[in-house]
Amino acid sequence: MSISSRRPRRGPAPGMPERRFPLTLVILSGGVIALVAILGVAIYNTTQDRAIATTAIEGVKVFPGLDRGHQDGAVAYEQTPPVGGPHNAAWLNCGIYEEPVASEYAVHSLEHGAVWVTYRPDLPAEQVELLRRQVRGNGYVVLSPYPDLPSPVVASAWGIQLSLEEAGDPRLNAFMRKYQQGPQTPELGAACTQGVGTPSQR
Amino acid sequence: MTTMETTPNNAPERGGITNILVIVLVALSVALGALWWLTQPPQEGDPAVTFSRDMSYHHQQAVEMALLLRDRTDDPELRLILIDMALTQQAQIGQMSGWLEAWGLPITGPQPPMTGQMTHGGETMAMTPEMMGIQPQSEVNKLTTLPVSEAEVLFLQLMIRHHRGAILMAESTLSQTQRAPVTRLAQSIIAGQESEIALMQKLLADRGAQELP
Repeated sequence: MSISSRRPRRGPAPGMPERRFPLTLVILSGGVIALVAILGVAIYNTTQDRAIATTAIEGVKVFPGLDRGHQDGAVAYEQTPPVGGPHNAAWLNCGIYEEPVASEYAVHSLEHGAVWVTYRPDLPAEQVELLRRQVRGNGYVVLSPYPDLPSPVVASAWGIQLSLEEAGDPRLNAFMRKYQQGPQTPELGAACTQGVGTPSQR
Repeated sequence: MTTMETTPNNAPERGGITNILVIVLVALSVALGALWWLTQPPQEGDPAVTFSRDMSYHHQQAVEMALLLRDRTDDPELRLILIDMALTQQAQIGQMSGWLEAWGLPITGPQPPMTGQMTHGGETMAMTPEMMGIQPQSEVNKLTTLPVSEAEVLFLQLMIRHHRGAILMAESTLSQTQRAPVTRLAQSIIAGQESEIALMQKLLADRGAQELP
């Protein structure tokens, strides 16, 4: 008797189709496809547009190294309107104001993550209404007229400022979406209520 | 002759073990990949993300109102429920901010709060802050100017509406996501605020006042 006839048969009987190889190939292909799909999702997710947080808004100026101390009384700020610096111990409640507000309170709100949108007091009524429509329904925005503003509309966050010619500029909304409680916020988690001021709307 | 006879026997044996190894390796990789996929954080647009932002904004108004009244009322039963609301909801705001940060997402989203879609009674519809119980600032401001007893009644009326909106929002989110810490918080909000509504209805009745329609 030959050796081969005593060993148990491995593989298909003579005349039967060879099946092991295609099954392994099917499993292997299925697995590779699944892994490629998972890898594809992973790569897609990491390249997802974190647009709000990372896209630069054209025209934005940055002012680093601002003081954060509390100070009573009037403060002389370097920017108009100010983007930071010493401020009152009380912050200004976020919302829409029809009269100018004291900068010393508003700057504290910037420290809490608020965006301060200011406009020239003589801005046409429909522009003011457009500003109010855009600001309404946001939790961390102050809107107020500001005398002697260098541009018709200026949006500020802590250490950050954008001058605009008109209320309809899409950069205003982009600024609000990016900087409300945004990466520039020195005191993230602080509230924009329970401070001073009574906004007519929020 | 001998070599030719043993080779056909040995080749299928090696092939069998190799095939099994390949199958096991591929199955393991797919399982690990699936596990990885299931533990990924949500992306922008996910209901868990929208809920975290919308409910935080909603809670902020509740905290504001509760503390405004607490500054003025000395009714001990009311003061207790007010501080309870304020502390609980402020903590939940913190919880939701923590999730967003852990998910690598900004606190503020591409849309203002409560301007997305909600599900109610099996239907999907556009939501507004008012629909979800956000009260007008002009009403909230009255809490600081009305005589205290009237401010108490107004608070209870506004907050019952406010709570109903939060419950709607939480229920909508439960129908849109199965993500664990989010569903737990949504359920906790529903249970907690339903119970607070009942308490506030009693406090209104004590004051001889009615809910708003």
